[in-house]
Amino acid sequence: MVTVKTASALVNRAIKTNDVYCAAAVYGIATHKKRKILEILMFAKRKDALMLARWEHTPAAVLQALSENNAGTVKLDNAVTLRLDKNPNTPAQALSNLYIESIKDSKKNTSLTLLIAQHQHTPANVLASIVQFDSSLENLKAVSRNPTASGQVLRCLVEHQPNTEMYKVFDKNVATNPSAPADVLTLIYARGDPFSRAGVIAHTNCPQSLLEQAVNDSELLVQRQLARKCSQLVILARMAMSKDTAVRCGVAANRNAHRALIAHLLSDIACAVRRAIAMRSDLSAASIKRLMNDADHWVRLWLGRNPIVSRNVLKTLSADSCYEVRRAVARNPRCSVALLEVLAKDQNAWVRSAVAYQLNAPKRLMVALARELDIDVLSGVAANVHTPQRILQELVVNPDADVRRGVILNPMAKRKTLLPLLEDPYYLHRLLLVGNPMLKEKDKWPLCEDPDFNVRFAAFKWFAGLNKLAERFA
Amino acid sequence: MKILVAVKQVAALDEDFEIRADGKDVDEDFFLYDLNEWDDFSLEEAMKIKEASDAEVEVVVVSVGPERVDESLRKCLAKGADRAIRVWDDAIEGSDAIAVGRILAAVAKKEAPDMVFAGVQSSDQAHSSTGISTAAYLDWPHAAVVADLQYKPGSKTAVIRRELEGGMLQEVEINCPAVLTIQLGINKPRYASLRGIKQAAAKPIEEVSLADIGLAAAEVGSDSSMSRVRRMYVPAKGRAQMIEGTIAEQAARIIEIIKAHKGA
Repeated sequence: MVTVKTASALVNRAIKTNDVYCAAAVYGIATHKKRKILEILMFAKRKDALMLARWEHTPAAVLQALSENNAGTVKLDNAVTLRLDKNPNTPAQALSNLYIESIKDSKKNTSLTLLIAQHQHTPANVLASIVQFDSSLENLKAVSRNPTASGQVLRCLVEHQPNTEMYKVFDKNVATNPSAPADVLTLIYARGDPFSRAGVIAHTNCPQSLLEQAVNDSELLVQRQLARKCSQLVILARMAMSKDTAVRCGVAANRNAHRALIAHLLSDIACAVRRAIAMRSDLSAASIKRLMNDADHWVRLWLGRNPIVSRNVLKTLSADSCYEVRRAVARNPRCSVALLEVLAKDQNAWVRSAVAYQLNAPKRLMVALARELDIDVLSGVAANVHTPQRILQELVVNPDADVRRGVILNPMAKRKTLLPLLEDPYYLHRLLLVGNPMLKEKDKWPLCEDPDFNVRFAAFKWFAGLNKLAERFA
Repeated sequence: MKILVAVKQVAALDEDFEIRADGKDVDEDFFLYDLNEWDDFSLEEAMKIKEASDAEVEVVVVSVGPERVDESLRKCLAKGADRAIRVWDDAIEGSDAIAVGRILAAVAKKEAPDMVFAGVQSSDQAHSSTGISTAAYLDWPHAAVVADLQYKPGSKTAVIRRELEGGMLQEVEINCPAVLTIQLGINKPRYASLRGIKQAAAKPIEEVSLADIGLAAAEVGSDSSMSRVRRMYVPAKGRAQMIEGTIAEQAARIIEIIKAHKGA
């Protein structure tokens, strides 16, 4: 099988297939002239244009061309525009064009503007324009929730509203928008209701001054957020005595909480508090000892997963009556080979499966576990980098798709092992192999003619990327 | 021994679809066609019988529809069906499930199978009556919503388990030949192998006309159907309410709503 060597040859090949998906995959590397041919192929039928406008894998360049109606082949009707506005791949320029078109239209379609206002690729100037000129409350709310809105746009939204009711609407969204800058958060905190204030305190951009101010905020919602971020030990000690479980949970999860405070919370009546402690990375030996014997199995489970606990602790937990705790130990990156050998013989398959997936498990354990019939165990063996090729080659013909997929996902699976999987009945497996670095170009080329359109698209796209790279360095 | 599997190419709706100008269906541009999910299970059940049998078993798939239906029939051939039959005539357009049952029964009379399988329902129209009407026209015993089947080719009876309300199963012995409508989950349908797909591409699909199965144009289509679509529309939206505000505020509002409904 001879693969194509140039971008031009690949584009010609895609045109020859007369397949919409192959055409979309190579559009980005085609010359201007060839793009016109591809556009006719892709957009001539309204059904295909609608599909491409909606499909989550349609490349941005194709969506851009569709929005510009370059070939004049498809009428950019409301249904196509609606899909373009919704498609998460639609690029900024296309959204900008669509916005201009929508404001030109005297019967301006508010629902289309709403989709543009909430799209994550909408350029900052378009969002600013919506804020400045649009009077639709829904459109403005969409901008206030859009994480790509700039600090300036959000500032404009919360500063220039005609009345208190409007402030409230935007404050809540902006308080939880990751782009909100510190000064805007300060403004919202000063005038916000408890929900908005709690949102501000939880925000990653919340300034230290507000955290200090919030110490005196009696609102429980605010205290819950503050408990997770506060660095003042006296305040944390006060919060550890709170009647509210969520506040105490916040303290238990707070990195600044002192060991003595954590030791105090070890006897907390609420399991949720003790579970939060079991996940901490600064546990003392005494705390670990207490948690090991906790009545709540979730506490012991989180301790078993915690990478800071000693091998002796893991050994004790590996004999826990609850299989989920034993599984947690088997998943722990510090679990020793000796302990994994014990857990590999556990009566519960879910525990043995965790051993099979464990990166520390040696080759001999993989050989032993490969004799199992349980699908979860075999899937782990198939995915484990220590499994010998001989066993992987056996698993490639396993009737269960999950097991075969494990081999595909195994970075140590060699070309010879993977080759039979190129004929796997499950299309997703063939699709996953398109990007596999162990396979050669000639192995992947037949996938360009795969019966499944997803595979054909992925294969042509992979070769398009390869040719683009080759021509850049030619 | 022969099993006839009735299959349908169903239309899935693309989002934000538009209704056709005559108001009786969705605009064709917004349809995505595929093999009916239930029929995948029917075919698999037939394939299981074929593969487990020492005697020769022929699995024949049949569908009523225009040329585009060939794609779904090829999918069945790729999964191992021996033959595929497609019945079409422009006069069939507008046929309801009962009229389609009449056509399938005519095919069954010609093919003389030992069993007829159909899906419990189609995902696009959900009449759940095509299989049963086929049985009625054949005057054969039938069983609906079959969740388990014990049948040996050549047997005079089959034992089936039907899925009922409340998670109950009803075990029934049924005389053969019979028409069974197969429920989802009765088996694990296979994926077609690449080899199977390639072989299926070369296999012929038998195109059958109404005359071939002894039916007249007057016996099918909307005029001979017992029901006709008057209009299709999206009803006015209900009382859905978007809950807004911060996460904590949304949670508080949901709690309020639950308490109000519980009367707490």
